Amino acid sequence: MNTHPYVRAYLAGIFAPTLVLPLILVGFIVVRLVLAAPFPIERFLVFPMALVPTLFGLWNMLYLASHERLHQSIGVHGMVLPILGAPLGALLASCLGVLEFGAHGVTYFQYVHVPYVVLPLLVPAAMAAYYLVWKYVVGFLNRTLGIA
Amino acid sequence: MNAHDEDRMKQLLKQAIRPAGDAEPEGDLWPAMLQRLDAQPAAPPWFDWALACGLAVFAVIFPAAIPVFLYYL
Repeated sequence: MNTHPYVRAYLAGIFAPTLVLPLILVGFIVVRLVLAAPFPIERFLVFPMALVPTLFGLWNMLYLASHERLHQSIGVHGMVLPILGAPLGALLASCLGVLEFGAHGVTYFQYVHVPYVVLPLLVPAAMAAYYLVWKYVVGFLNRTLGIA
Repeated sequence: MNAHDEDRMKQLLKQAIRPAGDAEPEGDLWPAMLQRLDAQPAAPPWFDWALACGLAVFAVIFPAAIPVFLYYL
């Protein structure tokens, strides 16, 4: 299996977010139907459904391209992705009305309030989550597909 | 290259290249290979467990962060 390594890297990269996406969709549909919360689901889904898998795929292709020179671990490589993706997601969410900035914090989906004090904690937490996902999920797929 | 040079070259080559000796392995290698294939993968290091526990604690303390995380994953 020595052909098309970048296609395999892309497929291995998009696996994790694609796996999570139906869970997100089910969760939010249940919340909307049960609690009748006025979530703009179609706006919310743009980032996780379209951009996050693409980012994961491209990031894994970048890992494949740079690993021979940098020798970075895949966990550390994935850990850097939230630094790129979080501002992009926040910008898109703000443009689509999913994220609103208030006096004391931000409000996601017109429902989830996150105080500004908590926001700095979200970044290292997201980096830790991405580290584990990339090390164990994407890393396993890379080994299975013969990339790493 | 005369005969003397050829002999000298053979002698140098014999000195440089280690004799193969017994080409057969000392024992059957297949059981060791099977043992290696059946070996359990290494357990995650304590640092990864600590990160996972930290994330779980963070989710318990700030449950509002869970949908935000799902949005970015």
